[in-house]
Amino acid sequence: MLIQYRVQRWTYVAVSFVGLLILAPFAWMVSTALMTTAQTLQIPPNIIPSPATLDGTREVFNRLPFAILLYNTVAVSIGRVICTIIICSMAAYALAIIKVPGAKFILLVILALIMVPGDIFIIPSYSIITSMRLTDTLVALALPSLFDVFGVFLLYQFFRGVPKELIEAARIDGASHLRILATIVVPIARSGIISLAILTTLAEWKELLWPIVVNRSIDKMTLGPGLALLRGEYTTDWNVLMAAGVLAALPMVIIFLILQKRFIASFARSGLK
Amino acid sequence: MTSAAPFPLNGAEPQSGHRTLWPGGLKWRQARAGYLFLIPLLAGLIVFRFYAFGYNVWLSFTKAGAFGPPRFIGLDNYRRLLSDSQLVVALYNTVKFALIAVPGVVIVSLLCALLMQYRFRGESVFRAIVFLPAVCLPTAIILVFGWLFQTQYGLVNAAIQAMGSSPVSWFGSEAGVTAVVSLIVVYLSFSVPAIILYAGMQDIPSDVYQAAMLDGAGPVHRFFSITLPLLTPSLFFVILTSTIGILKLFDTVYILLPPVDHSVSTNYGLTLVYYYYYLAFVDAGQRGYAAAVSLFLLILILGVSIVLLRLQRRFVHYGEDG
Repeated sequence: MLIQYRVQRWTYVAVSFVGLLILAPFAWMVSTALMTTAQTLQIPPNIIPSPATLDGTREVFNRLPFAILLYNTVAVSIGRVICTIIICSMAAYALAIIKVPGAKFILLVILALIMVPGDIFIIPSYSIITSMRLTDTLVALALPSLFDVFGVFLLYQFFRGVPKELIEAARIDGASHLRILATIVVPIARSGIISLAILTTLAEWKELLWPIVVNRSIDKMTLGPGLALLRGEYTTDWNVLMAAGVLAALPMVIIFLILQKRFIASFARSGLK
Repeated sequence: MTSAAPFPLNGAEPQSGHRTLWPGGLKWRQARAGYLFLIPLLAGLIVFRFYAFGYNVWLSFTKAGAFGPPRFIGLDNYRRLLSDSQLVVALYNTVKFALIAVPGVVIVSLLCALLMQYRFRGESVFRAIVFLPAVCLPTAIILVFGWLFQTQYGLVNAAIQAMGSSPVSWFGSEAGVTAVVSLIVVYLSFSVPAIILYAGMQDIPSDVYQAAMLDGAGPVHRFFSITLPLLTPSLFFVILTSTIGILKLFDTVYILLPPVDHSVSTNYGLTLVYYYYYLAFVDAGQRGYAAAVSLFLLILILGVSIVLLRLQRRFVHYGEDG
């Protein structure tokens, strides 16, 4: 495979061109974030803020309960990841390792449900959450997405690779299924669990429709919809909007840069069907 | 596949037939534990999928507002579905975005995947850059594009004016909204397809390329007669998932053209999901009709998936082993 891909000068030209094109919006976001509102309204616009200022960043904290939004996002993501992993790994254990009677049928239902997009269920989910009196809570943000059929399928494929002998030996030693799941299966299928955790976290960060439907007060919002609300109120202060965008995007970008290999492997696995 | 496989491929499945499931027996205790493990998932699916779907279907036959119980009105919502000009606009926009953005996603991700094949200095930096749009908060990206294409002070119009043309009202015309929305959608969704196509390219055996090179095939010829045909399984997957993703498009149009504006330009970006969100939650009181629109979208998505899966049989190359 490697032989025919000799790096030539045009490779660097093409890579730099594509790379810079992808980076350009980010660069403009950071640059605008460091301007004053007056600087953003210059014609023709200045590309580099001079002088650079943190006015916009300061203003973000005046207009938006940023710390609360960040806390909500992190709390909901962690809660959703933990619950999703528990629910999915228990189900995948029953299907892949215990192989309950009817496992094939349940798997078929799961595969069919993967095809049905969750956005279709916004209206009934809202009614269900309302009747549970959970609107305007953090629980409401995560609850309908905890039963992740794709996650079950992903873990099912990992759990199938766990050697049977290990499980039988543990059963003979008298270990309970819960114990086998926690101490044998999960460690062996670790990379599958991590992938599910990463994909679930990203899904929560990208959520927009469901949070704006189910929660009305800003104190119960996550970062994405919180930012979207800022747009509605202050259209002209682009430096504030961009500063908010940089601040909100930064945590996930840093996590990505640290765990780059894990993230890319997880993305590749999302194509596993 | 031989009929007398030495090992059952699916583990214990064939044995379960001749072992009886009597209560209290070993097999029964195993199964009971298994069903206990399935309870959380199945309970959730029953509430948030099956009951929710049934409720949605029932709602689509009623007149339901934000307050008060839904009232059964028979097929009225579906009759309205057939004569609703706003629905036609939403369907037209959604299909239009898909027809423009899906080829865009395929081309950009194919380009990135090809470049990722080279072993050059800084390749890990390039890979990180390719994934930035997928890990960055979509709201932030959509807002920066909104700012780039802002009519008065935006950078894009400044560049257009610097080249001597007159500024474009990006959000005031159908063509402008289509261009900006499609660009954002491609930008937000090419990263994952790029890694999937890259992985697909790694699976193409190198001897095929070597044979072609011995025959004197150049790089362009090799790309079109080897890489593309052998990549069709991954390409198909990318096309299917990005088409479904774009048929559900909401965040981009909602943030660029917020419903509070009530302007005509909202119509240029009205998608099916945006439309039923608007019916159900902004213009409260039309939840029954919104449910009918959401079922229409479900049928559209399933229909498109089935058509694509059928096309796959004709065009996708799966190699000799099946």
